[in-house]
Amino acid sequence: MNSVNSQYMVFVFCLILLPAQAQESSEPLQPLRFEGYPDAPEFDVVPRKDDLFFYPCGQCHEAMEPDPEIRTLNTMHDAEIEHGRGRIWCMSCHNLEDRNYLNTLLKELVDFDEAHLVCGGCHANRHKDWYFGAHGKRVANWQGERTLYNCTHCHNPHSPAIEARAPKPAPPVRAGLELEQGTKHHKSSIWDKQEEHEEQ
Amino acid sequence: MTVIRFILDSVREMFRGPREYWIWLAVLSLVVIFGAVRYSEQITEGLVVTGMSDQVSWGFYISNFAFLVGIAAAAVLLVIPAYIFDRKDVKDVVLVGEGMAVAAVTMAILFVIADLGRPDRLWHMLPGIGRFHWPVSLLAWDVLVLSVYFLLNLAIPFYVLYSRYRGKEPNFRLYFPFVVIAMFWAISIHTVTAFLFSANPARPFWHTALLGPRFIASAFASGPALIIITLQIIRKLTSYHVSQTVIDLLALIMTTALQISLFFVGAELFTDFYNEGSHAASIHYLFFGLGGYYSLKGWIWFALALNLTALVILMIHPLRRKTLMLNIACVMTFIGIWIEKGMGLVIPGFVPTPLGEIFEYAPTSVELSVAAGIWAFGILVFTLVAKAVIAIEQGKIFHSKEEQRYTL
Amino acid sequence: MSNDSNSGKGCGNFDKARRNFLRGIGLGTAAAVAQPAWGGQTFQDAFADFFQKDYRRMSAEEIEAALDRIERKAQARYDVEIDCQNTPPQSGVVYGYAINISRCKGYRDCVHACVKENNLGRDSQMQYIRVLEMDQGDFNLEHSDHYYDPETVPVEGKHYLPVQCMQCDDPPCVKACPVEATWMEPDGIVVVDYDWCIGCRYCMAACPYWARHFNWTVPEIPAEEMNTNTHYLGNRPRPRGVVEKCHFCIHRTRRGQQPACMEACPTGSRIFGNLLDPDSEIRYVLANKQVFRLKEDLGTEPKFWYFSD
Repeated sequence: MNSVNSQYMVFVFCLILLPAQAQESSEPLQPLRFEGYPDAPEFDVVPRKDDLFFYPCGQCHEAMEPDPEIRTLNTMHDAEIEHGRGRIWCMSCHNLEDRNYLNTLLKELVDFDEAHLVCGGCHANRHKDWYFGAHGKRVANWQGERTLYNCTHCHNPHSPAIEARAPKPAPPVRAGLELEQGTKHHKSSIWDKQEEHEEQ
Repeated sequence: MTVIRFILDSVREMFRGPREYWIWLAVLSLVVIFGAVRYSEQITEGLVVTGMSDQVSWGFYISNFAFLVGIAAAAVLLVIPAYIFDRKDVKDVVLVGEGMAVAAVTMAILFVIADLGRPDRLWHMLPGIGRFHWPVSLLAWDVLVLSVYFLLNLAIPFYVLYSRYRGKEPNFRLYFPFVVIAMFWAISIHTVTAFLFSANPARPFWHTALLGPRFIASAFASGPALIIITLQIIRKLTSYHVSQTVIDLLALIMTTALQISLFFVGAELFTDFYNEGSHAASIHYLFFGLGGYYSLKGWIWFALALNLTALVILMIHPLRRKTLMLNIACVMTFIGIWIEKGMGLVIPGFVPTPLGEIFEYAPTSVELSVAAGIWAFGILVFTLVAKAVIAIEQGKIFHSKEEQRYTL
Repeated sequence: MSNDSNSGKGCGNFDKARRNFLRGIGLGTAAAVAQPAWGGQTFQDAFADFFQKDYRRMSAEEIEAALDRIERKAQARYDVEIDCQNTPPQSGVVYGYAINISRCKGYRDCVHACVKENNLGRDSQMQYIRVLEMDQGDFNLEHSDHYYDPETVPVEGKHYLPVQCMQCDDPPCVKACPVEATWMEPDGIVVVDYDWCIGCRYCMAACPYWARHFNWTVPEIPAEEMNTNTHYLGNRPRPRGVVEKCHFCIHRTRRGQQPACMEACPTGSRIFGNLLDPDSEIRYVLANKQVFRLKEDLGTEPKFWYFSD
């Protein structure tokens, strides 16, 4: 057969198939949706909504007209975000129409108690680690019931970097002995040593 | 029973003597009591009264222990010439050496007990009712070999002296095998003590195959130093016959041992400093200070100077033959090795700690007092034993006139 | 002693006095035996304490009696009622621990949580965990600072490394002990029988991680801060003159709880679990992260890893 004929055959073949599929379901093909990591051990997530002062956000926002324009907001709550260096803005995570929910990159609604699904949209590797326990924190036990803290429990989503804080006290020395400070060790890095060498 | 009479007669002899002898015993006893009183402070308060810490968890006590095991092992330097090479002059004084071994082992064990956090739990080491972690733990090995060495050095002289007390010649075939065992055992006590330290890869300063040889070499230098001085004292204060040839032999052994010992020190210094890495941190601290801490620097260089000077004296034959110069060299060697093998070995093993921290150590007055008390006790034991031994050897105490055939 | 048969009128008074005297002695002895005069213990307790066998050879009853004595001792010493248990190891469990050193910020929350949880002596200044501060790019422990005390942590240009007992699978400390007072339990924890240790401190010399610590004096714990949930091999009040160390919070972990250091860490740097469970979090870390152990070349096989990401 010549190529035109074979293409025609494929076309007819597809025409036959499509109605066959249409008979099975009348919905279009569903794309792959994130459903967690099935290999990860099961867990619950510590809810966040009780800790959110303004929740439910719809209390106010139902009365307000949603404005999709990217801008700096003038609001009474966190509006400056130190997150992403301009790659994202509020509506990247907060659902425009329904402020009681967040949304993923695919604009699926996400409950505040499942906020990790939003974070995981960009921070996928971290998200996977969190599922398997290599990141984040588990509540109370290592065995049995597995409850994990949400990302937002530790990371303020509007300024996720952990802030510096005072350390707890330095170790003491044995009762009756004194700590004598010797000379503070100063090790020149190789490049500093080169500079020092050049300066001489 | 004759044995009881022998013991009673010996003990009686120990507490018989001129006024100077009693003053000597009194002085030693006072120091012992002083040490015991301060030890009771340690018992009541705990080891917090010492200068030790989690960082430097062994200190002055274990330093003295390591040194004294060497002195105990050095008795073999009299035993070998006496019994293997059949030197009569050495045979005459070999019991003094064994008496010194007994005193040294006693002191070593007392130092270990003084260092324990729970001396009331010593029975935990007894096999059977306790748990004796032998043959895995090097400390268990050390306890075993030291105890047996102690018994050997008690049993053999006891048999020899008891025979002489009864006017008989001791049966050579009976005690010679034990003598041979004791010879090898002497090397083993010090090797095991060296292995106690060198078994620890956690402590790079100790974790060297050279530690065992270093211990033996320094023991064979410091031991004869002490024996030479002691024999001269005995020769001066009693009518006991100590041949000059014995002193000469010991001086020669001491010279060779000191040469080897200093060669080993040189080998360590080269190996660590030629390409200096983390392994050298402890020896760097010891000889040059580290991170602004240098409390041992003065001591180790002083010890090295003593040993080198002593070696120079010993290697010049005419000087070595001069009594005064020899004695100076002996004192220098003894002190030099006491520093190098005592604090100079134990403390740098802990500095820096395995986590890189530098924390210094200095013994407190309690440690110094208890140590003085133990040394005084050892010297006291030796004095008493030597007194009895000399009397028996000289035929001054004996079982019966008829049996008093044996005199020196 | 006067012969009773010779007692006459004058001796009758003497006999009475003697009887009173003997009765007094008897009562006094009974009182001395029963009163907590022997360092805070009754004579019976002190006697039983002295002759107490090592943990691994005690029968169940003997262990129960030992636990009771420990509770009584704590009552006498600290005036606190504690509960001393002997929770056995779980079968099929060997503990492993990992720290994410890119998350550790040097807070030392773990250090102090451990002190509280494990009844560590405040006066003897015992701490099982030590956090090292090092310059970024430098992993030489000799360049570390143990006593860092800046305004805030993490200090820029520094990184932090918490170190505690590695619970080695081939522990040099276990080999060193002359009385076998320290050993590795079936669940991997290297424990110390504080009532058997003679305090020779050889194990401290043998440990490459500076993980073992000594009670130079009696641990002082304020009564109100005492953790009353204790374990014989773990955090029950310890005597003076013995060695102790991190035991992975044996009183908690054998019941499925996290060790106190892990629970305290606010950054979630610490991961703990069962190495024998292939689905555990610790196994995931070991399989998917670039982990390392300290002083790996010594062959001690620590069950404590570090990683960064």
